[in-house]
Amino acid sequence: MKEELFNLVSTGSSLTRRGFLKLTAVVSAVMAFGVDTAKAAVKWLDPRRVQKSAATQLDQGVKVVHSVCLGCNARCGVRAVVADGRLVKHAGNPYHPYNHRFASIPYDTPVRETLVLPSPVCGKSQDAPNYIYNPYRLIKPLKRSGPRGSGKFEPIEWEQLIREIADGGNLFAHLGEKRVVPGIKELNSDAPILPDAPELGSVRNGFVFIGGRDQNARKEFSDRFVKEALGSVNRIGHADICGIGFRMGNWAFTERKELEVKADPVNAEYILVFGANIYEAGQPGVNTYGATLAKRYSDGKVKFTIVDPRATNASTHAENWVPIKPGQDGAFAMGMIRWIIENGRHNKSYLAASHPKAAAALGHASYSNATHLVIIDPGHKNYRKFLRVADLDPKAPEEEGKKYMVLAPDDRPVPFDTAGEAVLDADRTVMADGGRAIKVATSFYLMREGVMEHTVAQYAALAGVEAAQIARTAEEFTAHGTKAAVTQYHGAGNYLSGTYASYPVAMLNAMIGSVDRKGGYLKSGGGAAKWNEGLYDLKGFASKKKSQGAAISREKFAYEKTTEFKKNGYPSRRPWFPFSSGGLCVEAMSGIDQQYPYPCKILFTYFFNPVYSIPGGARYIETLKDSDKVPLHVSIDITVNESNLYADYIVPDVTYAEGHYGFLTPHAPAAKFTGIRTPTIEPLTGKTADGRPFCEETFLIDLARAAGLPGFGDQAIKDKNGGLHSLNTAEDYYLRAIANVATGAKVPEAAPAEVEFVEKNYPVARFKGILPVGEWKQVCYVLARGGVFNTPYEEVFDGEKHKFGLKRVVLYNEDLATTKNSITGEYFSGTLKYTPPRTPKGRDIEAIDREYPFSPVTYKMNLHSQSRTTSHAWSMEVFPTNYVEVNEKDAQQLKLRNKDKVRLVSRNNPKGIVGQVKVTRLIRPGCVGVSHHYGHTQMGASALPIRRAAEVFLGGKRVANAKGLKGDARLGAGLPFNAISRLDEDFANTPLVEVCGGIPDFSSTRVKIQKI
Amino acid sequence: MSERRVFMKNGLIAMVGVASLAVASGKEVSASTRKWGMIIDLNRCCGCQSCVIACKAQNKTVAGSFNTRVISLEDGSYPNSRIAFTPVQCNQCENPPCVPACPLSATFKLPNGIVVTDWNKCEGLGTCVTACPYEARFLDKRYKGTEGGKVDKCDFCLHRLEQGLLPACVEACDANARLFGDLNAPTGEFAEYLKKTELTSRKAGLGIKTGVRYLPNRLSKQGGAL
Repeated sequence: MKEELFNLVSTGSSLTRRGFLKLTAVVSAVMAFGVDTAKAAVKWLDPRRVQKSAATQLDQGVKVVHSVCLGCNARCGVRAVVADGRLVKHAGNPYHPYNHRFASIPYDTPVRETLVLPSPVCGKSQDAPNYIYNPYRLIKPLKRSGPRGSGKFEPIEWEQLIREIADGGNLFAHLGEKRVVPGIKELNSDAPILPDAPELGSVRNGFVFIGGRDQNARKEFSDRFVKEALGSVNRIGHADICGIGFRMGNWAFTERKELEVKADPVNAEYILVFGANIYEAGQPGVNTYGATLAKRYSDGKVKFTIVDPRATNASTHAENWVPIKPGQDGAFAMGMIRWIIENGRHNKSYLAASHPKAAAALGHASYSNATHLVIIDPGHKNYRKFLRVADLDPKAPEEEGKKYMVLAPDDRPVPFDTAGEAVLDADRTVMADGGRAIKVATSFYLMREGVMEHTVAQYAALAGVEAAQIARTAEEFTAHGTKAAVTQYHGAGNYLSGTYASYPVAMLNAMIGSVDRKGGYLKSGGGAAKWNEGLYDLKGFASKKKSQGAAISREKFAYEKTTEFKKNGYPSRRPWFPFSSGGLCVEAMSGIDQQYPYPCKILFTYFFNPVYSIPGGARYIETLKDSDKVPLHVSIDITVNESNLYADYIVPDVTYAEGHYGFLTPHAPAAKFTGIRTPTIEPLTGKTADGRPFCEETFLIDLARAAGLPGFGDQAIKDKNGGLHSLNTAEDYYLRAIANVATGAKVPEAAPAEVEFVEKNYPVARFKGILPVGEWKQVCYVLARGGVFNTPYEEVFDGEKHKFGLKRVVLYNEDLATTKNSITGEYFSGTLKYTPPRTPKGRDIEAIDREYPFSPVTYKMNLHSQSRTTSHAWSMEVFPTNYVEVNEKDAQQLKLRNKDKVRLVSRNNPKGIVGQVKVTRLIRPGCVGVSHHYGHTQMGASALPIRRAAEVFLGGKRVANAKGLKGDARLGAGLPFNAISRLDEDFANTPLVEVCGGIPDFSSTRVKIQKI
Repeated sequence: MSERRVFMKNGLIAMVGVASLAVASGKEVSASTRKWGMIIDLNRCCGCQSCVIACKAQNKTVAGSFNTRVISLEDGSYPNSRIAFTPVQCNQCENPPCVPACPLSATFKLPNGIVVTDWNKCEGLGTCVTACPYEARFLDKRYKGTEGGKVDKCDFCLHRLEQGLLPACVEACDANARLFGDLNAPTGEFAEYLKKTELTSRKAGLGIKTGVRYLPNRLSKQGGAL
C-alpha cells in the first residue's frame, strides 16, 4: 500500500490517493502563485508579513530535523523547523506511520523528495515551542535556602551540586539544620538494609529513583546509575497512574507477557471501546488511532461503541454510547460473556484448539488454554495448578512431564499437544498412576463458573445499564467474525477492582477468537532493531552490580518470602504485589511515608510530580517535608512543580527538543518500527565548565564519577571487538545506541546529500567524531528519516495472522491463581470473577461515603497531557480552564447553571476545590467530570522567593523581580480533582490502591457539589 | 509532466532547507484560473484542535483570537447524545459582505478566491468585523490602526500556498477532514467531494456562496450548517 502511495505521489498518475490529493494541491499551489502574488505583494500589505508568521521548511536559512514528539507518550514523528537556532514549528514526519494513519511513505524515499510533503501532527505537538521556551523553565541547579516547601531556593554551581550529593554531610547547617544528610557514597555498601531482614536487600536499596515521564533509553540510562552502578532495586516507574488497571487485565490474559493490546484500527469492522479516550488521548494518540478510525468511519468501514461514563469526543462518530457506572467495566464485560455463552455465540473451534498447531490449522496465530485441565482438588499438592503429565505419570521424562493435559473427545486425558480438538467445557475426576483420583476442570469450565455467579440482569444492575444494552452490545460484538476487538485504556480498570474488571474485558477477544488476527486484538510488533547491543554493549560494564531484594513499592515480590511473614503471618503491614506488572509509584511513595518495608535514605525524582499527579497525592506533602522519611530529595525536572517545591536540590533538565530521548518502539497494535528522538535545537540550560549541558545524563555521569561508581567515565563502554570507550557525555551513549539500531536494522549508508542534510541541520552532528565514518553514514540514513520505518503495516501480517502476536492467551492464569492476597491470606481467583470495588481491607466506599452522592470521571483533553502542559500557551488560549461537568438532570436538581461556581468536597478534603459548572448531556447522571491538567499552584502559577531568579529561569527578567519569581495566575486556572481523592483509613491515610496489581484508584472517591 | 517537474524541483531545492520556491516556480504557469476552496468532512473531524494550534503556530494571531476554531455542540438527548464538531473560519465568500462594509477598501477578494485585508489601508474601524455573518474577523490590537488595531482573518495561509505548501490547518488535519483544492479545476478526492449533493455551507439560510463547504456528519443532527 505504501509503495503504491508513493508512486502516486511521485508520478501524479492517479486521482484517488490521499497523499496524491495533497500533493496535487501543493503542486497546484506552486503553479498558482509565484509571479502573480509576487506582484500583488507590492500592492498590498499582507498581515503575515507584519505578524512575522513562523518560518516554513522551505524558507531561506532554516534547518529541518526529523525527530519524535514527546507532547505525550504517543510518540508521533515530527518535522521540526528551526529558524535562527529557534524551534518555530512542528509538523509530522512523512516516514513515520503514526503521522499517516499507519501508511507512511516508503522508507527508502530520498529525504529531498519528502520535505515538501504535508505531514500532520496533533495540537500538543504543534504547541511545542511554548513548552520548549517556557519562561518558567529552570536553567541552573537550585539548592534549598529555606525550610522544605518555603519555595526558598538559590542557584548553585554544578561542582557544588555534584560534590554535596555524592558526599552528603551538614549540607543545610547554614539554615540551622543540624542533621547529617546522607550522600550517594554512604549507600554504596552491601550491608543489609535491615539487619533482621536480609531478603529485603542491602543499604543500596535506600536509594529510590522514581520516574514520571520516562522514555526508553533515558530510562535505561537511569537504570545504569540506579540498578547497575549503585545497585538499588528502586528505579520505580509510574505505570500505575498512567494506567496499570487495564494493563493488569492483559497481564493476566497473556501470562505476564504483554501490557498493551488493542483493536486493529486499520482492519477491524467493529471496536468496543472501554475507558479509552481515543479522540483525545491514548497511545497511539488521536493523531493516529483516532484519525484512522475517523477516516474509516467516514468511509463506512468501521463502527464503534463507547463504554464509558463520559461520552468522550469519539461520540461524534460512535455507533453507540453506553454510559456505564464508574468502576463497573468488569460487570458489563462479564454480562456480555454470559450472554455470548448462553447464546452459543462464542468461537468454539478457536477455544477448543488446545495447542498452537491445532489453532494454526484453523487460521489462528494464537491459541488459548480454554481446554487445559486445572486441578481443583484442595487436598492435592498441585491444587489450583494445571494438571500436567507428571501428575498422572510421575515417571514421565522431565520435559514430557511438564505438559498440560486436556480431555480428548472420548474423555481420555491426553497431553495438550496431541489432541486434535479437546473437550472445552467439563469437570471430571481423572485417575493418576497408583489409582489416586484427581478432580479437574477445564479453564473454560472455571471461567464459565465465575461468569455464571451473576445473571445478565444482575451484571446490568451493577454496571448501571439496561440488560438489553448488554445483549445488544454482545450481539454486535459477535457479528463480525474475528474482525472485532476491544480497545481498553485507563478508564477500564484504574480503580479498586481493576484487575478483575479488565481481565474480562480482555477475555472478550478470546470469546470471538480475534486475538492476533488482522482486524482483531493485537500487541505491538516491536522495534526495528535493538539499540543497546550490537556494535556497542550498552547493557554491561565492568563491576556492574546486580540489584537485589524487595522494592520499596513491594512490586513483584511475594510477602511470603519475608521475615515479617514468618514472624507475623497475614495480614502484612501494607499490601505486597507479587503478580503486579509494576511501576508502582504510588505505593513507592506510601512505602517511603511508612518507611515500609524499610526506610528511604535518598530520593531522586525525575519528571515526577506525585503531589499533583497522584489521586490524593497531596498526602505526600507531609512525606516530602519530613527529613526523617526523606533525608535527601533531589529532583530532576524542567520547572518547579508542586512536588519538587519540597526538594533539597533541583537539577535542570533539557526538554526532548534539546536532548536525547531515546528509541521509540510502537505501542499496540501491530506496527513494527523504531523512532529516534534526537535534538532539534541546542540545549537551553546552562553548561558545565567543559561545555556539557545541565541535564539528567550530565548529572548522573558526574555524580557517578564523584561517588566512585562504575559504568560511567573513561573506558565505560565496550564495543564488540573489546575496545573501550568513554561515557562522559550523553552523546557517548546515545550516538552509539543509534549506531546499534542502524547496523542492527541493516540500513544502507546515507547518500552524500543525506549525510550533508544531517550535518547541516542536526545538532547531534557536532558529535559525529564519536563514530567511525562508515557507522556515521548509516546513522545519517536513520537520523535523516527520524528512525527506522522499514516494515509497512501490512507486512506485520501473514495472511490474517499477526506475525508478532501474543501466541497464547489464558482463560485461567496459574500464577495468579496461586498468588495470595497479602492482607487476607486468601488466593486470588485465577479466572474471571466479578469483584466489587473494595479497599484492601474490604471497605465499600460507596456505602461508607453515602452522604457524598457523586462519582468522579477524570480524563485527558486533546490539547493537554497529564500535568505539564499549562505552558502550552496556544492550547491555553483555546481552553483557558477546565470545568465541573454535570449532567443536565443533576444540574436541574441542584439548580446549577453554566459558569456557576461550585465547591467539590470529599471525606478527605472537606475544604474542597472550586470550579465552574458546565452542564452537559455527555456524562452519566451521578457523575462529575473534571479533566486533568489544570489547578496547578506551581510551574509558574505562584510567586516564589527564589534568589537571583532572573539567572535561574529561562524567561529571565520577564518572570523575575527583586523578590524572586513572579507568578502568573492564568497558569493556575481551573481545579485539580486529585486534590480531593479518597485516602485509605486502614493504611495511614495514604492514597487508595487495589490489592492485587497495586492499581491507584481514580473512580471510588465520592464527592458532594456545593453551590457557592 | 510539469506537475512532477515542479515537485522534484521543490524536493531538490528543499534539500537542506534553503529554498525559495516562489522564485523557482514563478516560471511555471500563470495563476489566473485558480480559485481555492476547502471542504470539511465532519464524518472525519475528531475535534482534535490540531488545525487550531497549527494555525496559531504558523500565523501568530493575537492571543484569544483565532483564524480558525472548532465549535463543539451537544447533539441529541441523554443517553442518545453525542458531541458534534464544526471547524470554522473565514468562508472566502463569493460575494463577501465584509468587502463593501469597509469604507477604506482595505479588504478585497484576490482573483484566486481568497479574501484578504491590506494592512497598509486597514485602520481597524471594525465595520468588516460586524459585517461578517460568521464571526470570522477580529481586531489584532498589537498593531496600531487609528481605531484600536488591524483586522485579521484566515487567508488560507497564502504565504504557504506561495511556497507550494498546504494551509497549516490542512496539513495538520490527521484524519484528512480538511480537503483543499482548486474549485475551478478540482482533482482527486477534492473533485469527488465537490460532486456530493450533501455539501452545505455555514448558515445556509443566508444564501451566501462560500469557498468553504461542509459535508455533515451522517450521525448528527447539528454541525456544518451553524
